[in-house]
Amino acid sequence: MLGGTGSGHLTTPLLEVAGLVKHYRTGGLLARTGAVVKAVDGVSFTVAPGETLGLVGESGSGKTTVGRTVLRLELPTDGVVRFEGTDLASLAPGELRALRRRMQIVFQDPFASLNPRRTVGASVAEGIEIHRLAPKREIPQRVANLLEEVGLDGSYASKYPHEFSGGQRQRIGIARALAVEPRFIVCDEPVSALDVSVQAQVLNLLLDLRDHRGLAYLFIAHDLALVRQIAHRVAVMYLGTIVEIGTARTVIDSPRHPYTQALVSAVPEPDPAKATARIVLVGDPPSPAAPPPGCPFVTRCFHPMKDERCVAERPRLRPLDGRDVACHYAEVNAVGGR
Amino acid sequence: MTPLLEVSDLNISFPRDGAPLVPVDDVSFMVSPGELVALVGESGCGKTLTGLALPRLLPRGAVLGPRSAVRFDGTDLTRLSERELRSYRGRRIAMVFQDPMTSLNPVMRIGTQIAEAIHAHRKVSSRDARERVLALLAEVGIADPPARINAYPHQLSGGMRQRVLIAMALAGQPDLLIADEPTTALDVTVQAQILELLDRLRAARGMAVLLISHDLGIVAGRADRVLVMYAGRIVESAATAQLFAHPAHPYTRGLFASIPRLDATTTRLTPIRGTVPRPDQWPDGCRFHPRCPVAVSRCLTQRPPLELVAPDQRAACWVAQGAAT
Amino acid sequence: MTRLARVGLAILTLLAAFAIVGPWIAGDPNAQPDPVNGSLLLPSPAHWLGTDQLSRDIFARLASGARISLAVAAIAVSVAAVFGSALGLAAGAAPGLAGRLLQRLIDLGLALPRIIVLLVVLAALGRMHYVLLGVVLGATGWPAVARLVRGETLRLRHAQYVAAARALGAPPARVLWYEIFPGTLPAVLVASTLGLADAILLEAGLSFIGVGIRPPEASWGGMLYEARDYIGSAPWLVFIPCLALVAATSAATLLGDALRRSLQPETR
Repeated sequence: MLGGTGSGHLTTPLLEVAGLVKHYRTGGLLARTGAVVKAVDGVSFTVAPGETLGLVGESGSGKTTVGRTVLRLELPTDGVVRFEGTDLASLAPGELRALRRRMQIVFQDPFASLNPRRTVGASVAEGIEIHRLAPKREIPQRVANLLEEVGLDGSYASKYPHEFSGGQRQRIGIARALAVEPRFIVCDEPVSALDVSVQAQVLNLLLDLRDHRGLAYLFIAHDLALVRQIAHRVAVMYLGTIVEIGTARTVIDSPRHPYTQALVSAVPEPDPAKATARIVLVGDPPSPAAPPPGCPFVTRCFHPMKDERCVAERPRLRPLDGRDVACHYAEVNAVGGR
Repeated sequence: MTPLLEVSDLNISFPRDGAPLVPVDDVSFMVSPGELVALVGESGCGKTLTGLALPRLLPRGAVLGPRSAVRFDGTDLTRLSERELRSYRGRRIAMVFQDPMTSLNPVMRIGTQIAEAIHAHRKVSSRDARERVLALLAEVGIADPPARINAYPHQLSGGMRQRVLIAMALAGQPDLLIADEPTTALDVTVQAQILELLDRLRAARGMAVLLISHDLGIVAGRADRVLVMYAGRIVESAATAQLFAHPAHPYTRGLFASIPRLDATTTRLTPIRGTVPRPDQWPDGCRFHPRCPVAVSRCLTQRPPLELVAPDQRAACWVAQGAAT
Repeated sequence: MTRLARVGLAILTLLAAFAIVGPWIAGDPNAQPDPVNGSLLLPSPAHWLGTDQLSRDIFARLASGARISLAVAAIAVSVAAVFGSALGLAAGAAPGLAGRLLQRLIDLGLALPRIIVLLVVLAALGRMHYVLLGVVLGATGWPAVARLVRGETLRLRHAQYVAAARALGAPPARVLWYEIFPGTLPAVLVASTLGLADAILLEAGLSFIGVGIRPPEASWGGMLYEARDYIGSAPWLVFIPCLALVAATSAATLLGDALRRSLQPETR
């Protein structure tokens, strides 16, 4: 079994994120009137070589921002990101660009992530050219091989993105990321824009590539069932913080945080015979510009023991039953008998 | 029970150079009063156009086939004039769309927008209208209606905006609510709230709901009946429990196999091969045959009719009908 | 392409062909064969569009004027497009202080009253070759292009495919050249086509006032200037260059509008 809980790990981590913080200042007309949005507010986790960590949350939870700051596509406000032991903040711009060979990203929207004015071949070859991974005359062959590896025809290289369906474009995006032979890929909702029947194809492709190339993924998604399918470990985010993290089996099959329990319950069950009582949360997540001072989930929490402490004191992640959970009363199951 | 809505041979085409595009091809189905029917399909299968065709809100250039009929409460809406239709739209058939932001006027208070919907249907004093607005807001589960009535759309969350749209749809006290992907733009936990609300409203008001969605999972626990569309046609129609227990059409089976499950026992899903074809590339015969794992030679040339394959279950598939030869 | 756009393109092509070929077949625009009896003649086989007050052939002057007026406008638009694009890209892409300074420079350019600057500069420089006039016009036309390109650059910087290129390790210059610059071209093309109409009118206006193309050299605006005293006695002297101006500017506007409409929805 790969990985362990959030705090411990069996192998040296490939990626180590500690105390990651990303704040944005929203535009007020005057600089002073703008509020500070705490998109990511102190997030720590590790990803081992070959491991997939699922990062689950709703919109505004900060999961996408985590993915982008980990790759330094956005600069973190605070915190440390180490890749293969190197603190990314310590690198000069050139060194960071060289390191990008090892860590890649696949985006959610296959319509926006490819340059409409460049051929598919040019997009896939981009990384090979930047890092001079092959002599010029060998590039077309490399590109064709990559396209075939993701299940496309090698001759597609001369076509433009608009000639392809969403699923095909997502495969092209994956081929572009693979071109630089990375060890780690941030998959930012890679299938949520695709048709159901195509989602499964792309998911299987990501699984195949992981097996063949020994890739590690940070798999960002809002769909717990999807994450259950691909991730070894799962981190559940709410309002910029991780509320529960552990192996996928532990966290999803016996969630301890009330929010995780609600998420699990909200996953549509295709079998009406199995449909159990649903937890329907009331209200919406609070704005990340004005999070509650205590537990971020307190405004929607249905835990019977919820009290003043939850309002005042932010719960820390602590180990419990083989996972880490941030809830003062996680020992008591909020939904008895589950 | 006499059906509230009876759609027969609904055919929508777009004339163009060469053969016309026919994104909805002879679709027939019924909705009974108070029934929740789900229309499920992937993007480009024609489900949204089908929904728009019922109150005849088709986009410019769309042509309804000559045999198409949309009988609502006994009246064929396709034969009515625009003027006559207006007494049906909003009042008897209401719609809720996917994007709650663009469906609301951003510079108008939500109370005013709901009041307008009320005024559009009946003459009421503005005081009575305000009372109605407050009642509707409460009915769709918006906390503290007197405080929210003066809010602008941007001050509300996505889930709240969707509730406001539902309140507007309810203003005319419709008999049928067509909800086109009402939860797709929302977060998972909020999705559950909206579906719960639709289900509750239907029970409380005896209102029929046609729920259009790409997601088989979300309709599972709520729909009475499910219609599965593929490439402009209904390929399967069944009572929900029957459909989920014994899907008959290979496409429906493929969809189920593609959905990730929480109780995953295997790591690999079994996807349907290939992609959804574009409307100008729909094949002859059964339109699913190029992606079908069990297709036989007859499927390549002959269109399978939607026939009974089990009690409460129809499928448009030669193999499922046992007529494969 | 819409029918109107085709009409616009056809008119512009015809005018361009006329500007290139016309002067060869029409002869010397400055010849004054018979200033006494041959002036202000109506159109005839010898003079297709008649003659002016100095007995010069109007067809020859119109052809020569077409070459000069269209060349000036084309040069002006090209100079503005190249210079404006470069500055706009730099202003949109340069980080921190440099970007802000370039932005201020563009604002300054936009704030200057173009006509007054041109009047002062052209009056000071005196008679000049029409190529130089085009360059001077272009040198005052770049701020609008620069503002447009800067806006596009800022927008495209947030495109996901730009993030993808950065994630691949592409250095900033490469991102700018391969991912951002091509994306700004459609907007520049549209602005330049529409700008062509402006430049034609601007040159005509300046020549009419007497600081653009100066007599005896022919330009459409100059022809109007010289014809203004004869509007009652020989109105075709006014009508003919007017017609040419209207044809050229409306053709450019039609084409530009059609281009804008066709390029607006980002290739899906």
